[in-house]
Amino acid sequence: MTTLLEARYRTVLRLLPAYYRRDREEEMVEVYLWDVDQETQDQSRPTLGEVASIAALAVRSRLAAAGAPRRYALLGSAARNFALYAVLLQAAAIVSDEVLRVTWSATRGPREWDVFLTGFTGSGPLPTVVAIAGWVLPLLWTVGFFALVHDRRRLARAAVLLAALPSLWPLIEPLVTEWPLSAPYFVTANALFAWLPTLALCAAYHRDAPPAVLPVGTPGLAFLACCVVTGGSVALLPTMADLAWAPATCFVLAALGWLLLRTRRAESGAGSGALALASLGLLVLAVRTASLILWLGLPLPSVYLAGALAQAGALTLLVVALAVVARRDLAPR
Amino acid sequence: MTQAAFFVLTALADEPRHGYGILREVEELSDGAVQLRVGTLYGVLDRLTADGLIVLDREEVQQGRLRRYYRLTDEGMRALSAEAERMAAGASAAKQRIAEGRKAGGTPPVTGPGLAGGLA
Repeated sequence: MTTLLEARYRTVLRLLPAYYRRDREEEMVEVYLWDVDQETQDQSRPTLGEVASIAALAVRSRLAAAGAPRRYALLGSAARNFALYAVLLQAAAIVSDEVLRVTWSATRGPREWDVFLTGFTGSGPLPTVVAIAGWVLPLLWTVGFFALVHDRRRLARAAVLLAALPSLWPLIEPLVTEWPLSAPYFVTANALFAWLPTLALCAAYHRDAPPAVLPVGTPGLAFLACCVVTGGSVALLPTMADLAWAPATCFVLAALGWLLLRTRRAESGAGSGALALASLGLLVLAVRTASLILWLGLPLPSVYLAGALAQAGALTLLVVALAVVARRDLAPR
Repeated sequence: MTQAAFFVLTALADEPRHGYGILREVEELSDGAVQLRVGTLYGVLDRLTADGLIVLDREEVQQGRLRRYYRLTDEGMRALSAEAERMAAGASAAKQRIAEGRKAGGTPPVTGPGLAGGLA
């Protein structure tokens, strides 16, 4: 007869994918119930630690555990590619943005430099700490990227978790200060742009997962190329540059390059890469759209509006194209 | 090799064991320092199986429940021996350094807060 405790354990084990449960459920239930008295079984419950360990196993068995079915292997591969490309994009966008901002402020005379410094020191201890953290921590995207491609997974996880923290501040600020939440669509999209890759990296690059590999070039070259594109797009077209401009430009060019490379190499089975890029494209499109909404109702320069709309259009087309490629490659054979 | 994988291999070194037997053996071998959860144990078993270090030895059904026994493969025994030797070499080096340190200058200086005036 099934006891209440056994039923509870089986409920927890439902977190695991079906293929894993088919193979392991009976055996795991036997381990759980081994030394538990029949009479006390109805009063006991799985502990939080047991549930957490099954939840971790559930994530791992869906994202590239050994012997996982093809769709889970592809899902794991897509999550890893998504995390890798997103961290690279964040790293390059932040580095080029901060270099350009410092260069601009330092070369436009003492007044501009004062304005730059006042951004850190002008308004009390909490805003100062937040401003400094918001400047320094995102640089850890770069540390996270290079740690990841050199297979230093713990360092990569720690670096991206810290790098993503400042994106939460605009959401937390209304709870701890008197400032209201401003631009809710943009700050939400921006937080998702930081945290979804971070969570994907933490979940998908577990101990058993294969190492991160870029589809082309060395990590240093890829980072440099992305920095040149993100920085160049702002330096060449400053009137169009809002917060989404540089990463969106970089994504559009990189995704086009990826599609071209795929066509030339006539690769099949690259579906996880296409799925990863389509997901990342969707995220960048959300940031692009949200940053456009930010200015709705204001008299905007037509050149800015044209640039933003062109980017949104290109992103939409690319996401659709990548989704079609992913669907074709991922179809069961 | 992780600590959990090392203890699981050690638990299987003398005889095949089932999941619960491995959990208890690991706890005993580590003097209670390593207490694996079931989710963690099966993650380790999956990895060791995929690496060819352990295999399924046999299955039994006891009171309607499945019990699987695992055993070390030859490769698993070699990996465990290598890891044990590596750890023993590290421990031996540490002991030697400690002995040399004691011979050279007595016990290392105490850098903590000390007993203010108590032993003066």
